[in-house]
Amino acid sequence: MTISDVGKIEPQDAARSGQDEAYRQAAGEYGTALERLAHAYEADPDRRRDLLQEIHLALWRSFEKFDSRCSLRTWIYRVAHNVATSHVIRQSRWKRNTAAYLTLEEAEAQASRENVEVSAGRQQTLTRLLALIQQLDLLDRQVILAYLEDLDAESIGEITGLSTASVWTRVHRIKNLLVRQFHTGVRNAR
Amino acid sequence: MPGDCLPEDLQVLWKEMSMSPLTFSPPQLRAELEKLNEGKRRKSIVFLAAMGTLIVSFASFFFLFPNTLARTGSVLSVFGLVYWLVQIRMSRARPISEMGDSNCIQFYRAELERRRDLSRGFPLWSRILLAMPPWIVFNLGFAQLYPNLAPIMWFDCGTIVAVIAFIVPMGLRQARMYQRRIDLLDASQSRS
Repeated sequence: MTISDVGKIEPQDAARSGQDEAYRQAAGEYGTALERLAHAYEADPDRRRDLLQEIHLALWRSFEKFDSRCSLRTWIYRVAHNVATSHVIRQSRWKRNTAAYLTLEEAEAQASRENVEVSAGRQQTLTRLLALIQQLDLLDRQVILAYLEDLDAESIGEITGLSTASVWTRVHRIKNLLVRQFHTGVRNAR
Repeated sequence: MPGDCLPEDLQVLWKEMSMSPLTFSPPQLRAELEKLNEGKRRKSIVFLAAMGTLIVSFASFFFLFPNTLARTGSVLSVFGLVYWLVQIRMSRARPISEMGDSNCIQFYRAELERRRDLSRGFPLWSRILLAMPPWIVFNLGFAQLYPNLAPIMWFDCGTIVAVIAFIVPMGLRQARMYQRRIDLLDASQSRS
């Protein structure tokens, strides 16, 4: 673009370049977190790639509307979780019931029944962590994912819509569940 | 978070996953969006063409077949098909650009309710009652006009009844599944 072209910039183009720039920054800063989020929602690699692309597309489009009423981080996670939620609902449309997801009570019961074997490596531990997260119902999944990404209870509440106290309770319960499942494996992997 | 008892390793471990994420540039996303929109446009053209053909056909049957039942059936079919078109347009999902406006619970609940409501109650019954019985009425009129073609019309009526018998329980089952998830969400919220 030359200096003489500057006056010709349409407001639409300016908005578009603002949207592109906002997306680039967001993708640069949160790209890895979004990738991890996609892993937690979709186990199949091909469908996961599609989901990730869908999340990025939605994020890019959402910057048309972003007006700083909430923080950028909250906005990004809301868009990502909501797109993933739609994906999960679509995928489970033909499943007969909700048995694919475990409530916290069911997961806790299952954890105490299972004789947790010592895991040899971090990769195995990570695989098990992912498998457990993928089984949780959507709300619990959203809470623990935000927690694993180092978000505080207030931010998690802003993203999910739960009160800070509820987030606190849930995180505590899910953490206990995860500790029971993993602490032996993680210690051995050190 | 204070009071943490989860081993710090788990969060470290979590962050070790996929350190080289897939990247998409805005032009790539714009191209992808264009491709998606093109696909949607193509699908809706095919759908509109099919619905348009049916509507024009039933409208022309009104003039072609001078029989009260056939005429009633054709007029009601046109109304039913137009209603279907309107309902499909109105039941579209929330625009993607607004996804950040809702928190996860609001979004999940709204999405479940939208899908549940499409599969039961007024939307389900109105779709069936406005589109299927008028077709049967038309077939009956046609069979009166052309008794030699009556067996084909009976077969057609039987097919319609079979389709209704399949669609209704399937829709209701889907609605129950969505309702169960809403109940689970409510129970889960009230517990915490």
